Amino acid sequence: MRKKRVLIVDDNFAVRSMVRQVFELEPEFEVSGEAENGVEALHKAATLKPDLIILDLSMPLMTGLDAAPQLMEILPAARIILFTVEEGNEVERLARVGGIHAVVSKQQVASELVSQAHALLAFLSEDDDSEDLRDAS
Amino acid sequence: MTEQETIPITMKYPHWQREFEAALVDGDPNTLRQRVDAAEAALFLRSQALAGSAPDSLEQQAIADAVRTLRGIQREKLGYPALE
Repeated sequence: MRKKRVLIVDDNFAVRSMVRQVFELEPEFEVSGEAENGVEALHKAATLKPDLIILDLSMPLMTGLDAAPQLMEILPAARIILFTVEEGNEVERLARVGGIHAVVSKQQVASELVSQAHALLAFLSEDDDSEDLRDAS
Repeated sequence: MTEQETIPITMKYPHWQREFEAALVDGDPNTLRQRVDAAEAALFLRSQALAGSAPDSLEQQAIADAVRTLRGIQREKLGYPALE
């Protein structure tokens, strides 16, 4: 089974670095790229075709909420986790409206991202394996 | 020659307060983004450390307040788009 590709989108280097470290410890994931804002995320998503996008909310040029629906247009099968300091029902609601699959607070341990990623991608794995088998036949 | 005295200043939140205050007072648009990024990084790393230990609700509230302040600076001085 191939590794799941992860795109990390956050304007802060320290955040990107920690998220990268967390996913690099997991054998089933590979970090395929990073982006510093929503606009760059759209370009990277189109070329890197990640399975999972870790998306910040507040960023220059384009917020995570604005980027999410466009990312889903480019990659309908990808899963998006909003990783943000902003919390509350309103953020959750806006995230759902924008097509985001899960919200993880930056005040939780970053490894919570991996737990969420496993849960979200578990469904994809079965489809993915079927596609791999079809491709091989 | 007069010997300079060092006056120790006790910071309430030494893991991030210095970086946060530096962002608050920075009036130079060329360095503000760096200051805000540094403050945000310090706040994030501290949040992560607190997440794995016993909760300090006062500091967590202070972090939340600091983050809100940084968001204001990002929108008003750095041109970040407003959140819906």
